Amino acid sequence: MAMNRRDFLKVSAGTSGTLMLSLSLPGCSGMPTGYTEETGEWRPDAWLEITKNDKIHFTLSRVEMGQGTYTGLTTLIAEELEVDPEAITPRFAPVAPEYLNPAYKLQLTGGSTSIATSWEPLRIAGAQARQMLVMAGARVWQVDAADCSARQGRVVHPNGIDSMRYGQLVELASKEVLRGDVALKPASEWKYIGKQKGRLDARAKSTGTAVYGIDVELPGMVYGVVSRPPRYGAKVKAFNESDLRAMPGVLDVFEAERGVAIVADKYWRARKAQNALKAQWDNTDALSLSTEGVFASYRRAADEDRGDSERSEGDYDSAVRDAEGTETGRVIEAEYSQPYLAHATMEPMNATAWYKNDSIEVWAPTQAPDLGRIAAARVTDLSPDDVTINTTFLGGGFGRRLTQDYIEEAAAVAFRVKKPVKVIWSREEDTQHDLYRPAMLHRLSASFMGDQLTSWHHQIVGPQLLTWYVRNAAPAQYPWAPKFMYGALGKVGLLAEGIATPKDMSAIEGAIGYPYNVESIDIRHTHTDPGVPVTFWRSVGYSHNGFAVETFMDELAHEAGEDAYQFRRKLLAGQPRHLEVLDRAVKIAGWDEPVAEDRGRGIALFKSFGTFVAQVVEAGVENGAIRVYKVACAVDCGQVVNPRIVEDQIEGGIIFGLTAALYGEITFENGQVKQSNFHDYQLMRQYELPEVTVDIVESTVSPTGVGEPGVPPVIPALGNALFALTGKRQRNLPLKADA
Amino acid sequence: MTLSLTVNGEQRSLEIEGDTPLLWVLRDELGLKGTKFGCGVGLCGACTVHLNGQPVRSCSTPVESAVDGNITTIEGLAGNGQLHALQEAWIAQGVPQCGYCQSGQLMSAAHLLATNPTPARNDIVAAMTGNLCRCGTYSRIIAAVESVAGDSLAYDAAAVGEGH
Repeated sequence: MAMNRRDFLKVSAGTSGTLMLSLSLPGCSGMPTGYTEETGEWRPDAWLEITKNDKIHFTLSRVEMGQGTYTGLTTLIAEELEVDPEAITPRFAPVAPEYLNPAYKLQLTGGSTSIATSWEPLRIAGAQARQMLVMAGARVWQVDAADCSARQGRVVHPNGIDSMRYGQLVELASKEVLRGDVALKPASEWKYIGKQKGRLDARAKSTGTAVYGIDVELPGMVYGVVSRPPRYGAKVKAFNESDLRAMPGVLDVFEAERGVAIVADKYWRARKAQNALKAQWDNTDALSLSTEGVFASYRRAADEDRGDSERSEGDYDSAVRDAEGTETGRVIEAEYSQPYLAHATMEPMNATAWYKNDSIEVWAPTQAPDLGRIAAARVTDLSPDDVTINTTFLGGGFGRRLTQDYIEEAAAVAFRVKKPVKVIWSREEDTQHDLYRPAMLHRLSASFMGDQLTSWHHQIVGPQLLTWYVRNAAPAQYPWAPKFMYGALGKVGLLAEGIATPKDMSAIEGAIGYPYNVESIDIRHTHTDPGVPVTFWRSVGYSHNGFAVETFMDELAHEAGEDAYQFRRKLLAGQPRHLEVLDRAVKIAGWDEPVAEDRGRGIALFKSFGTFVAQVVEAGVENGAIRVYKVACAVDCGQVVNPRIVEDQIEGGIIFGLTAALYGEITFENGQVKQSNFHDYQLMRQYELPEVTVDIVESTVSPTGVGEPGVPPVIPALGNALFALTGKRQRNLPLKADA
Repeated sequence: MTLSLTVNGEQRSLEIEGDTPLLWVLRDELGLKGTKFGCGVGLCGACTVHLNGQPVRSCSTPVESAVDGNITTIEGLAGNGQLHALQEAWIAQGVPQCGYCQSGQLMSAAHLLATNPTPARNDIVAAMTGNLCRCGTYSRIIAAVESVAGDSLAYDAAAVGEGH
């Protein structure tokens, strides 16, 4: 049982009675380690548990939403533990300090960080446990541990013949004390890293037995649905409560924080009651904007404010003056925009909660269980310590499940009905009450002197995401803070941005990393937030900056009368990893060979989350619709742990990006989202699948992320292909066949 | 109303409103959670099951229209203690990412092979186009179906699970 903070408080008060509490807490270990006699289990650390019977459990601190942590992280620990990854059973981690993501100081899965941040710690954990087992074996045999080895879950005697199962040694191993560091295996001895190809969750997911949030079943469970106001920010004014209460199976109808909640004994009965709901909304504080209004406000903001300087090199203003004042000089300008985008995870938002007087238990497909704990505490009379979050498999995440509104709702309903309750969102609710990838505006300009690109200017216009995220994230970083401080913590979190907390890069990432060698560079962000709820969306800021930067680069190449590949190439001197992926993508695509008359080829190169990706898209227009035929992709993500998962993530990112480029658009009218389901928020389908080739650069550099980097370049690469075909430049998304 | 269904070869009778979608009957009344809710209107295919040998979208199939019908869900795809050849292929090819849509994908693919044991690429694409996958595993799906379709021995095993 993990020691919770309430226990700690008691202990602390009893022994010292001082107020050292808040200082000592962050180091308070949540997960017990050691050997347990009764169960025969040895927990060498927060990750591993090995039993007398050779069962090996691995606590997975990053959730599995398709990106492959279940397999990848298990492979890392298996490699050093000297067991087959298939022999390990992963479990989803409870909330505990050991499981914080070091990149965020939150227990959060996102930002393509899982492999990168686990690469060393998990291998070390595996190696230490293996070493303790080896030492235990050596002690039994009375030989030198340095002469023993480990293989396939056994410690092997120096004679190479005798061996003992790990299970036989766990009790003894738990008493061994490690001195100094344990050496990690050299790459030449890896059996699984870079070689493992299967997915450990494939069987459960191919037999219908994997448990997602929506599959949780509890005794006496009831079902909740919530009708949220069509316009964001509106409140409930009145509704036909008694009509609904009279409907079959309806157990409760009440005003919840975000709308009208209906609880029934069966899901379909709750939905039927919801269909009979007649609600009036108080729209005093509701959004009234339209999409056109949002972009108009962005343009006004851009005109009024050049924005904060985020990167400045050379002297942009004088480069432009020089170009304008010279016969051979030219200044090129363009404005780009991208719409709001929904996440559209295949598993709609849902959570199950069970309130029991002094505790609440939540089952949810969440990317951030520690934020979920804050969310559940916030809407009940409990503190975060009283909240248990059980994470399930996630039917897609893409950033949507970083925000815990669905847990907050389920916890609030459970607090009211005092029964286990599952709250499920309909697809329409999921689409219309998402937190979106923000709509963004970009103003770009560049100057040439002769054929030399002399300056690059990029003004990014739109909101930042931390403003929307800090509400539960700030309290989660200080979980012992009383609830009345949550509001203040959120404000402090924002005020301290860039000082005590990381700088919010969400609007500018990818833009400030402009890789091309240009003398004057001026990158700015004009912050303006129209009030539409926004959050992280697969590849975040890179998703919109990739399109703006790499399309404008294409415009400049065209302006210079140069080949789009060669134009980029000559500006990338001293950037070997960029050049490598660019050259490889071009080679796969046959860039120098002529393309069919009714097709165009486009290229783009973008580094995100530490990973370098170049793509060449071959596309055309068929029967009035854009058709993508081929995507050639080269990726450098450092050391590869599972080649097939890398390929799948990059290809999946390509499909995700193409879906945004071809279809993605959430629009507002009078503060209300117009799209509702897959007929008007379309996803790419099987018949549209292009031929995708993914070439992975072999590397021994520490691994970087692959979940997101496939997305950004494919959007401009497609736009550039259409330009090559039609000669018409599209600067707004989604792309049109008849632009 | 009281109605009866044969689900995965087992006769089940239950008391339920006739307009309840088959999906929620399978999931919440019969405890078969492998069939998933995706869109509620038959657009995504996550809820695909076989009704009398035909693939249907259980989210928009009222249970009363399935009365006395013979239903196969993902849980019934394996037979005689052996996975369906497609399930083996799905595992071997590592098809699922988040995996949420895969029960529906498998049921669509199983119907295709039950009616057309040697489908051409176009047949596979056409049969699978009604099933959305947000993770974008589309090429692995094609490869997995082709690996079974191209192997007639494997296909004999595939036929086993089809219970109708």
